[in-house]
Amino acid sequence: MLIVLGIYTVVTKKNLIKTVIGLSLIDYGVNLLIVSVGFNAGGSAPIFTFNEIKPDTFFVDPVPQALTLTSIVIGACVTAMTLSLVIKIKDKYGTIDADKVRRLNG
Amino acid sequence: MLILKYLFYIFVFPGFLFCFFAGLILAGIDRKIVARMQKRIGPPILQPFYDFFKLMGKETIIPNSAAKRTFIAAPVAGLISLVTISLFIPIFKFSAFNAVADVIVIIYLLTIPAVSLIIGGSSSGSPYAGVGISREMVSIVSYELPLIIALLAVGKKAGMAVNDGMVTFSLSKIVEYQSLKGPMLFHWSMIPAFLAMLFVIPCEVGSLPFDIAEAEVEICEGPLVEYSGFPLGIYKLNYALKIFIFSSLFVTLFLSGNGTGIILFDAAIQYVLCIIVVILSVSLIRAVTARLRVEQMLKFYWTYPTALSILSLILVWLGL
Amino acid sequence: MMQHYPVLSIIILFLGAFLNALFGGKSSIVRNIITFLSTGTSFLLILLLIKPIMLEGKVISYWMGNWIPVSDWAIGIGLEVDQLSLFFALLVSFTVFLSGIYSFKYMENDDTLDKYYVLYLMLSGGVMGFVLSGDIFNMFVMIEIFTFAAVALTAFRNYIEGALEAAFKYIVIGSIGSSFILAGTTLLYAQLHTLNMAQIAALMHKNYTPITLFSLGLMFTGYAVKSFIVPCHAAAPDAYMTAPSSISMLFSGMVNKAGVYGMIRLLYMLFQSINLPSMQILIIILGTITMFIGVTMALIQNDFKRLLAFHSISQIGYVITGIGLSTALGITGGLYHALNHTLFKGLLFLCAGAVFYSVGTTDLNKLGGLAKKMPHTALIFLIGAFSISGLPPFNGFVSKWLIYQSAYEEGFVIVTIIALLVSVLTLASFIKVTQSVFFGQLSKECENAKEVPIGMRIPMWIMAFMCFITGILPQYVTKYLITPAVSATLNIGKYIDAMLKDGYAEKYFKETVPVPNINYKLAGYWRPEYYLILFIIILLAFTLTVLAGGIDVNRRSIVSKEIEDYKYDTFYSGEKSEYSQVGGADLFWGLKYDFRKYFNFMHSAHSGVVNDYTLWIISTAAIVIAYIFLLVP
Repeated sequence: MLIVLGIYTVVTKKNLIKTVIGLSLIDYGVNLLIVSVGFNAGGSAPIFTFNEIKPDTFFVDPVPQALTLTSIVIGACVTAMTLSLVIKIKDKYGTIDADKVRRLNG
Repeated sequence: MLILKYLFYIFVFPGFLFCFFAGLILAGIDRKIVARMQKRIGPPILQPFYDFFKLMGKETIIPNSAAKRTFIAAPVAGLISLVTISLFIPIFKFSAFNAVADVIVIIYLLTIPAVSLIIGGSSSGSPYAGVGISREMVSIVSYELPLIIALLAVGKKAGMAVNDGMVTFSLSKIVEYQSLKGPMLFHWSMIPAFLAMLFVIPCEVGSLPFDIAEAEVEICEGPLVEYSGFPLGIYKLNYALKIFIFSSLFVTLFLSGNGTGIILFDAAIQYVLCIIVVILSVSLIRAVTARLRVEQMLKFYWTYPTALSILSLILVWLGL
Repeated sequence: MMQHYPVLSIIILFLGAFLNALFGGKSSIVRNIITFLSTGTSFLLILLLIKPIMLEGKVISYWMGNWIPVSDWAIGIGLEVDQLSLFFALLVSFTVFLSGIYSFKYMENDDTLDKYYVLYLMLSGGVMGFVLSGDIFNMFVMIEIFTFAAVALTAFRNYIEGALEAAFKYIVIGSIGSSFILAGTTLLYAQLHTLNMAQIAALMHKNYTPITLFSLGLMFTGYAVKSFIVPCHAAAPDAYMTAPSSISMLFSGMVNKAGVYGMIRLLYMLFQSINLPSMQILIIILGTITMFIGVTMALIQNDFKRLLAFHSISQIGYVITGIGLSTALGITGGLYHALNHTLFKGLLFLCAGAVFYSVGTTDLNKLGGLAKKMPHTALIFLIGAFSISGLPPFNGFVSKWLIYQSAYEEGFVIVTIIALLVSVLTLASFIKVTQSVFFGQLSKECENAKEVPIGMRIPMWIMAFMCFITGILPQYVTKYLITPAVSATLNIGKYIDAMLKDGYAEKYFKETVPVPNINYKLAGYWRPEYYLILFIIILLAFTLTVLAGGIDVNRRSIVSKEIEDYKYDTFYSGEKSEYSQVGGADLFWGLKYDFRKYFNFMHSAHSGVVNDYTLWIISTAAIVIAYIFLLVP
């Protein structure tokens, strides 16, 4: 659901900042998807210290959580980069309307 | 010994000397017939020889805005590629380097003389040349399409019988097919392709009504405007050689066959067929038509000959 | 020891990046040395790997941190280098090495060069890691790394008109692509609980559940965005145009190929679905459309590098068509064309960079007559232009011939016709560029252009030489480089076995895995021995002719500024040397007039608004997913 909202934002909104927000929405939606993949009903968080481990402890799958961490970091970097680009565009073009920032066309 | 044989092939027959004489005589015959059709007497048949040797003796002037090395190297590159092609075209079951006689190689090698005209023209630095070469390029684009489709049709037809079902692009296999089953022209499905290629010949060779690039009244001979002397002679030689080679290719594709087995007679028969083809497609049309504009030429080539070739291709694919 | 080479070649690039970040600000010598050493060592390591992998057929599999599989289940991140990966890694490292040498001189007028080299090395490290990895999440991380670095490098010269805008579009479009890949990866993990490619290939062998099909659609679209297939190509021309030329060379030579590599792995290894005719048709249709649209858009461009970018898109269409044919001949053609494309497109971008370095503009209407000032560049550009159009004896001819033949044999006649037509149109467009940039009259901006320095010419000469060599000796190239890669593509069982352990594939496939044989009949092949003899003889003839024609030649300056002599006025109707160079935009007037409806439509479709481009991507994703669900059972 988040992903669809994000896509809709990127496709239709003309203000560049809204496009950036839509992009971030897509990223976070996918991250949520990753986390929900690794869910086992009734499992506990996959952090253990050595004296708690027993053969029948039931953990949530840890791999997606690793993936999500990585992906959140990447999403943050991308958002930072995009926002800095938007700032520079505003400096140079004087506008952040996507219909006007289109000097490279054709 | 092998080297001597190859040298003979390259320089004498069917290489440089044979093409030289055959091409220039063919160009002369073409001019004479056009003149006769237009109720003039026309130049003697050996006129292209006189032109060539006259030009060899003239002084070469290179304008200041030209790139000198490209200016001289371009016509020679065209000449070399034409001689190379002539080594690959089989003359009724005789071919010099028959292992490599592949139609797609020949089509690509045939674009090299046109490209050499373009590069030579553009390196001369004149704006007339710039306009001329763009028109020449458009004419290359326009005739390649029907030519390719016709060749695919011919290749598939020969390949279905001789190469166990797959397409063949080898000219020697096409000749073999024709020696088994009669010349390609006599099959119903090949007639549209024959007509399409007949239309392609004037454009490839550069004669009316498609000579938009060369002998242009509007842009003073187009790409060749700054040429004089020795390079210009080579360009005229290229023009004559191209007529010969392309009509020879056409004869091999559509009218070839068993031949007599003696090389000299085979070459003579091929040459006579070349003359007939050239008269039909080049001289006849040149004597009576005017020049087309470049966009008309493009539109013409991409509708009628393309439709004919596609018709032939469909007929071949259906197995007729 | 050999086991560690792939990892080392990746790590060295990243290490170089970090070292540059720490020490590079001090002096340019330190920076150049670090960059040169790291790219050179990486290239050398990959070269050392050719012998065992390509020639003897071993496959290196390397588990990071030594997490070997436990009870038949892979739990670590694996690096697997088989012939296909090595082939692409060779391309990548070669391009990176040459581009590094080129950018020493090319970027010397820019400031903050230390950050440039950091980003540059990170880009190369990312692509190298992508190509050599054996784990799909690792691939995603590497994709993000190189997208990020690529975007930063696109916007590097922010004084160029449109650089920021291009970078913005690239990051939006690239992120959407990466998000699709991540979503697809996640869904695959949800279904199969493993991230290792070999294991996924084994487990999923031809059992398609709806989730895996959906994931295939998403990942396919993601990789299509990364390799700039139409209609996801929109960010590419902008990005190639505004990036510095050494980076453009990397984009068109490496980043494109990374997308193609991802697609090969996806279709051949993971899903093994390339034998289904519906997938073949999808890929071939996409490839053909890409070829055609790329070249027709290129005919109407006014900017040198944008034109080259559209040609990149078109040539990637050739590669994708070759790969989609899934016969041994087709894949050979596709991979050979990928190799050739890196060589000649890199060459062309380097020439464009040289022109920009000397003159300062890349607008075709303003350039002209540069061949006298920059003869070396002109010659190299001609070699590149002839290679890309596919004229013999250069390398484009061989690979295009293979693709034509394989397409025709499979029965896709229309594809062959369109491919030949596109080749001719490519020639047309390059003649236009040659005439308007190098030949013709010297325009005013170009009057003080000089030949580029020797440091920039060396990579250009090396690449031109390689273009020529791969054209003359295609049999050696095929035997040593391409055929092993092709057999690795088709031979999935070996990949799986090498990664996990022998017999793994059989256990999971529940059938014996056939080893495909790669022999194909070529309808008349290019025999280089004959051509060598011919070439030498002809070269003799050529030199004789040129000497004969070139000795007694007078350079008569018809048009010159010094001669104030009025006797030539009759030739000019009173006007002296009037500047009348035909502008690049006006050259193909007839062609443009005939197709003006189509060209106007395409011109206005590429509107430059980023939302339009994302709309294309989303609709492509939707169509691909729907197609896969409907037709793949």
